[in-house]
Amino acid sequence: MPVPVSDLMLAAPQWFVLIMTCVTLLVSLWSGKKASPWTYGLSQVTLLGAVVITALMYDQPRTVAFYGNMIFDKISALLTIFVCVITAFVLLYSRDYLKQHKMAYTEYHVLTLFSALGMMVLVSSYSFISLYVGLELFTLPLYALIALRRDAAVFAEASMKYFVMGAMASGMLLYGLSMLYGATGTVDIPSIASAIVGLPQGQHLIIVFGLVFVLAGIAFKLGAVPFHMWVPDVYDGSPNTVTLMIATGPKIAAFGLVVRLLAEALPDVHVAWQHGLILIAVLSIVLGNIVAIVQTNIKRMLAYSSIAHMGYMLLGIIAGTASGYSASMFYTLIYAIMSLAAFGLVSMLSRDGVDIQRIEDLRGLNARNPWLAFMMLLVMFSMAGVPPLAGFMAKIAVLEAVISVGQVWLAVVALLFAIVGAYYYLRVVKVMYFDEPIKKTDIELPSMDMRVAMTINGLSVLILGMFPAVLMGLCRAAF
Amino acid sequence: MYIESLVFVVFSVMLIGSALAMIVSRNTIYSALFLVACFVASSVLWLLLEAEFLALILIFVYVGAVMTLFLFVVMLLNMDIVSHEKGAFVRYLPVGIVLMLGMLALMMYVISPTHFAVLTSVQHPADYSNIKALGAVLYTQYAYPVEVTSVILLVAIIAAVSLAARHKGNRRSQNIDVQLAATKGDRLQVLKMPSEKFSGASDIGGPEQPARGE
Amino acid sequence: MLTNYFPILVFIAIGIAIGGGALLLSRLIAPHRPDTEKLSPYECGFAPFEDTRLPFDIRYYLVALLFILFDLETAFFVPWAVVLRKIGVYGFSTMIIFLLILVVGFIYEWKKGALEWE
Repeated sequence: MPVPVSDLMLAAPQWFVLIMTCVTLLVSLWSGKKASPWTYGLSQVTLLGAVVITALMYDQPRTVAFYGNMIFDKISALLTIFVCVITAFVLLYSRDYLKQHKMAYTEYHVLTLFSALGMMVLVSSYSFISLYVGLELFTLPLYALIALRRDAAVFAEASMKYFVMGAMASGMLLYGLSMLYGATGTVDIPSIASAIVGLPQGQHLIIVFGLVFVLAGIAFKLGAVPFHMWVPDVYDGSPNTVTLMIATGPKIAAFGLVVRLLAEALPDVHVAWQHGLILIAVLSIVLGNIVAIVQTNIKRMLAYSSIAHMGYMLLGIIAGTASGYSASMFYTLIYAIMSLAAFGLVSMLSRDGVDIQRIEDLRGLNARNPWLAFMMLLVMFSMAGVPPLAGFMAKIAVLEAVISVGQVWLAVVALLFAIVGAYYYLRVVKVMYFDEPIKKTDIELPSMDMRVAMTINGLSVLILGMFPAVLMGLCRAAF
Repeated sequence: MYIESLVFVVFSVMLIGSALAMIVSRNTIYSALFLVACFVASSVLWLLLEAEFLALILIFVYVGAVMTLFLFVVMLLNMDIVSHEKGAFVRYLPVGIVLMLGMLALMMYVISPTHFAVLTSVQHPADYSNIKALGAVLYTQYAYPVEVTSVILLVAIIAAVSLAARHKGNRRSQNIDVQLAATKGDRLQVLKMPSEKFSGASDIGGPEQPARGE
Repeated sequence: MLTNYFPILVFIAIGIAIGGGALLLSRLIAPHRPDTEKLSPYECGFAPFEDTRLPFDIRYYLVALLFILFDLETAFFVPWAVVLRKIGVYGFSTMIIFLLILVVGFIYEWKKGALEWE
């Protein structure tokens, strides 16, 4: 077999991240310091380089590479860019937290980069085998990252929970995939799609059987009801910066998983997975929004909110149309940005011995730092779906998609519970603006680049809400 | 053909039996050893499916390495006998059995030959090598997943070392270079002391002296 | 293909027969009269204070874990070595890259002192 040089070019972002991460690891090892500035700098160069390379390749036509194991298309390119940008922000936000809590600095950066690499592999996979190894590569570092902070037992506990649940989800997914392989005799996503079309009616049963397990695995990874139990515990029990990582990038990767498995491999049994997804989405929206109301811990509240948001995201997938998929993609990307800002603020404000855990800890943030409070206000309003913010546009897009396929009741349920959800987001705003602060002293983010990044992140929610056309256009072009 | 079915039955029973024994056993070391028996039995079943390389890897990696790790973990946590509540096991047993039977019925129905697509059993010649067939595609057609696998292994190394390795600070270690490089000047200090005078013999041969010698 | 493994099956059968037979025979033939003194653990002179098993050091665990990883690596080498001449430059370079990636891990653990016992 010939050496596929052109394939290597298509995988350039992955190679770049892999090589640069190894370089980062080796340079940090020899720099001798616990927290070398080289580690941070090289990590950012890695991610930004990957963004640039992917952006330069963006206009290339859709190509399958490495004997059908990898694909380069607009979906993979767009998701790769977002994964890298968001991971870069995560590393920026967590820089100070790591030093303060004596987490292993080099390992944190390297594992985060490998996790991002796994996400890149996952979103550009085109066969079950590369899909599965990509999934493992992105989840494995996350388990370790949680346990890197060693000053309390909760972190080990959260890591253990995440690991056991994640392993179970992988097992279910793998079992489902093996059933699909048994039915079709192939692991390549396009061949599976065409094999299913040719199957006689009686053999669809085994596809549905495998599909149930695949859906369970997907729901686990998304953190959607009824496989959501790990989400609040893991979000709450992880170090703030690792929660930040878990709540952002993996959602994008899980969206890639859903698209590759359901939209590309199994479009022909759309009716079968639609029913399962409707159940998962409705339960997630209802349970996520209701349980979030009674939370006093901000990380748990945001965790339940993420469960609800994953439900909304699935609405577009349920529609099963190109516009539905692009609406879901838009929703996922917007959610990742909002979640990045919310958890980013929580982890950056957790300084000087104050660990932001309860919503109460944000009391009177407006009096102490009006700009940060305003950023948090934007994010909370956006998550609640208040116009003209990005969260509103995202919700409109997915609702439009389900209405266009005639599932009006789904849209009504989703809308009703969005109003319920607005309550707990507004409570955070109320606490920040109208409650008396416990300490009167001003607080400020530690360094200039963090302030700039936070501002960009917060304002992007506003700008993407007012001018959604560019990102929406990119999402539409992907499908 | 007849002997194949016999081997299948014997080792399936062994697999199910040792899996059950692993769960029920109260002694964690016994559980670990029953798990070894499970691996051996399933390896024979894989061999019957002509997946000889994977069958050997199962013994090579799981029985050889993973079980060693399991035993170390058991000994690390020092939990020889788990006093797990028999109550919980018995309480959930009915639900478990119903679920299991339902699942089994469903699977037997679904995986019946009429629903399963790939049933082309190829008769291989006696010198057919599974390893060669695997190797021919693994490093060419599936090179991409193989490279990702090596990155997973790298992540596992980093994670294991960073989580389990103790920090150098709280570790007592011998630094042989420094020890060899030590000179007389580093260790020996000659002090000038003015000679002292003892006031009497009673101070030396005091009543404590024999007591200390005992 | 399976006929090649028939001797191994016979081997396993003989192994089980000898191992199990010895235990069974001693059970049947040997005198078996236990009492409390015979069954209690022997410890010089006095009753044992505590469990004789001590928790293992975590370093054993680390060594075992690293052993698994490199064991898996060798598992990847076997099919490669068998078909090395057939898969050409492409297959050869695949494995070299595989190896290079793992060498980075090896350097890491060496530098971190995970291979030192002290």
